[in-house]
Amino acid sequence: MSNSNVSLYLDPQIRDWVLFPITLVMILVGVFRHYVVLLLQSPPKKVPRAAIREQRALVRSQILRATSAESPIPPTYYKSISQHLSQAFSNGTYLKDGPPKGDSEKSTPPNPLTDPAAMDGMMSGMKTQMVMMVPQMVIMGWINFFFQGFVLIKLPFPLTLGFKSMLQRGVATPDMDVRWVSSLSWYFLNFFGLNGLYRLILGGDNSADSSRDMSTPFAAAAMAGPQPGQPQDYNKLFKAERDNLEFAEGLYSWVAKDVEDRVLRKYGR
Amino acid sequence: MSATQDNAAQLLFPPNVQYNNLRLYTVKFLSACSAGAAAGVLGLENWLGFALFVFSTLLTSACLYLKCGGRPAKFIPGGWWELVSPGQENIFSFVLVWTLFYGIVHVYD
Repeated sequence: MSNSNVSLYLDPQIRDWVLFPITLVMILVGVFRHYVVLLLQSPPKKVPRAAIREQRALVRSQILRATSAESPIPPTYYKSISQHLSQAFSNGTYLKDGPPKGDSEKSTPPNPLTDPAAMDGMMSGMKTQMVMMVPQMVIMGWINFFFQGFVLIKLPFPLTLGFKSMLQRGVATPDMDVRWVSSLSWYFLNFFGLNGLYRLILGGDNSADSSRDMSTPFAAAAMAGPQPGQPQDYNKLFKAERDNLEFAEGLYSWVAKDVEDRVLRKYGR
Repeated sequence: MSATQDNAAQLLFPPNVQYNNLRLYTVKFLSACSAGAAAGVLGLENWLGFALFVFSTLLTSACLYLKCGGRPAKFIPGGWWELVSPGQENIFSFVLVWTLFYGIVHVYD
């Protein structure tokens, strides 16, 4: 069927004017995308001190609990912090609006679609997604328009015939080896392969990463999850945290427990 | 004292772990790229190229293991498997660089 021993001769100008430019353009567009997203992000809103204190109290108890099984702090300190937090949670001293008044009229969180604070979060997520999608479409259109109708490169590994229609688009040869591919497939190779390079030059949290595009549906859903949590009922959270604190206190053990014996044993006494 | 996996992870200091992970990722990416370049220049095809990738992954993880002093659990959460496995992105990077160099050296005059 197809002769894989006979190799095609390709004009070196194809290499100079197609291969390198496509890669270069994709790298530059990725970097550009990252900075555009960075500039588009609106600065975070200022949160009042009471609200921050409320959130931080929760975080503080979570930090305490996280290392309770191998805790670096001695028992007296651990117990005192734990009990202070427990009491504060049950009294509601850290709550944003002061201790609860006893009636439950404020327990419904505002609708995320109408709450302006939550809207900002969702808008920035959607803006990011748009910025990511648009350059990819533009580049694909550019490649399809200018670099169509010729084979660009030979893949070093074989693929099944099913890929032929996708990778050799525009070249109407039914017999040619699937390994000879057109420029669009070079685009796809670059699309997947440049993520590592972006991570190297832009740092771990960059917005040029195409693997983030795959996970954005999940990310958008996950962002919509804690958004209704903003005006969430911290009272309930505090009560749950209090139970967790007790649980963690049961698990607690100091890392340096009986350290005197261990040191002595280590040195042979 | 017997430390379970969870307890062992508690003994690691998060900023240091982050730094380690970044270094690890950089090393793995660069080794994938070099392997790709080598495979392309040598003109390896099909499974030979992927064999070179596996070999380079093993070589990299052996070097990293030595660097950890034989105790990867002390530096990276996830133990030795984390050391060995190349990231999913690095496989694509390897294929990209491999194709690029193969094309430059063997396909074009």
